[in-house]
Amino acid sequence: MKLKGIRLKWSYLVIVAAVAALAVVPLFANRYYLDIAIIIGIHTMVTVGLCLLMGYTGQISLGQAAFYGMGAYFSAILSKTYGVSPWAAMFIGAAVTGGFAYSIGIAVLRLRGNYLAMATLALGIIMNIVFTEAASFTGGQDGITGVPYLSVGGLVFDTDRGYYYLVWAFCLAALLVSRNIVSSRTGRALRAIRDSESAAESIGINVLQLKAKVFALSAVYASLAGSLLAHYWAAVGPKPFDFLFSIKVVVMAVVGGLASVWGAIFGTATVKILGDWLHEFGEYQVIAFGLMLMIVIVFMPRGLWVHLRSRVLQWQRRSTRRAES
Amino acid sequence: MSEPILEVRGLTKAFGGLVALDKVDLAIRPGLITAVIGPNGAGKTTLFNIITGVYKPTEGEVTFQGRSMNGMSTPERVRLGIGRTFQNVLLFKEMTVLENIMAGRHGKSHVGFVDAGLRLPNALREEERISLEAIRLLNLVEQGMHADKLASDIPLGQQKLVAIGRALATEPKLLLLDEPGAGLNAIEKRGLSDLMKRIRDMGVAVVLVEHDMDLVMRTADWVIVLDCGRKIAEGTAFEVQRDKRVIAAYLGEDAEQRYAAG
Repeated sequence: MKLKGIRLKWSYLVIVAAVAALAVVPLFANRYYLDIAIIIGIHTMVTVGLCLLMGYTGQISLGQAAFYGMGAYFSAILSKTYGVSPWAAMFIGAAVTGGFAYSIGIAVLRLRGNYLAMATLALGIIMNIVFTEAASFTGGQDGITGVPYLSVGGLVFDTDRGYYYLVWAFCLAALLVSRNIVSSRTGRALRAIRDSESAAESIGINVLQLKAKVFALSAVYASLAGSLLAHYWAAVGPKPFDFLFSIKVVVMAVVGGLASVWGAIFGTATVKILGDWLHEFGEYQVIAFGLMLMIVIVFMPRGLWVHLRSRVLQWQRRSTRRAES
Repeated sequence: MSEPILEVRGLTKAFGGLVALDKVDLAIRPGLITAVIGPNGAGKTTLFNIITGVYKPTEGEVTFQGRSMNGMSTPERVRLGIGRTFQNVLLFKEMTVLENIMAGRHGKSHVGFVDAGLRLPNALREEERISLEAIRLLNLVEQGMHADKLASDIPLGQQKLVAIGRALATEPKLLLLDEPGAGLNAIEKRGLSDLMKRIRDMGVAVVLVEHDMDLVMRTADWVIVLDCGRKIAEGTAFEVQRDKRVIAAYLGEDAEQRYAAG
């Protein structure tokens, strides 16, 4: 009991410290680091959606870039071309993307393992082709520029510092909602599906429908993230929504710990920073990500974040025991 | 006798050329513990899988409380009141014992993604209710001391009791137990037998598939014997024990002749 108390306090402390750290970053960071922090916030939203799908429900997706891109393009097209308010565009995009993912999910989530991976992979590739080829809507390779900025009242989010706070507010909200879901009735049902689909059905869980719902939720997260990206850059193009991004999201989720909501930030940050270093290797980055994925899965199957955290806890327990004796 | 809660009529299941069940008729009555016994390959588990909607029957019909269940999915049948456990237990390994039983309340609760995600008051209230009910059931199966342990960390015998608790959480009217005694020691089996009787006395029709004849004789009010996909006998435990066809099925024709001669 005492141990549990310590652990609880410890985890709250970490959260408070993390939020405080996040809040002061913009006071010290230059534009370069601020940009990285914003992108990490945006990508973390995509990652945590995949964690719910892969880590908690046990269903793989290699096509998250499709939903990320859909969000970005919906925002850009609706707000730039049709003059819809950026916020409305963002939420319309998320709703449509979620509905789209649900109907795709009902079809493909009957598949398992490699077959599901292939189907979602195909979805990602097809959507990327749509982004490139439906040029009359998407602007093709050139994309869309001059996407309006987001604003609240008179406050326009056109500076990096302001945008940083906006993105992280979204991101932390997404993490909190995910954490709440995981520990709820629905979260138990998701974990039940991961552990045994037969047993899940035997207690009345509609497995296919619930899988499709969590797939849709992951798509909504990705779509909101895409919208945030579009309004940050004030531009969209097909490149950020390619196959490589889908793979990166899987690596981010695995490194953070698939079944760890807070690990998503850590995994995303690690992969993003590493990815920037590896950028000059172009397509060969995939090899590095693949290697990273293998190392983490073999040596730290619960993810780097969870692995480090349990090490710290072990060390803490040992030192309190030593202090007591 | 009371009206049957479950009726199986002309049930046939063929897997390719293999006929697992061959025109089986049977009835399960409420207020009784019914054992389905038979040698390996008699079709017992297949019968469970058809009743719960995992397999579609090749022919025949299953009615529950007078309603045909043809074409119903497993979750729909659970909602009507059919609960089950599995031969290989299938607890949710990475959840605690208590969470396993809480998961069993899924069909009896409603909070979805939005309410749970935003921790709305109704979500918190329902969660409280779910955990209270789960604790009550955990005590019923006498596993309260394991509440916070991971399901995979407790011994098999106790996992099986937790699995029964999880099935009870769905509030079944009919509870199907697939080999609940397998892997249990003598003391655990006695506890299991008492538990099944308690569940019966709560008004649940209990059906078990079991190889342990001792457990069956001690527990079952009614015994149905399957062999090679056919029902060959039914009656009280006392009656079927003395049935020639049953002895032949278990021990072979020779034994039957010897039994008859001796």
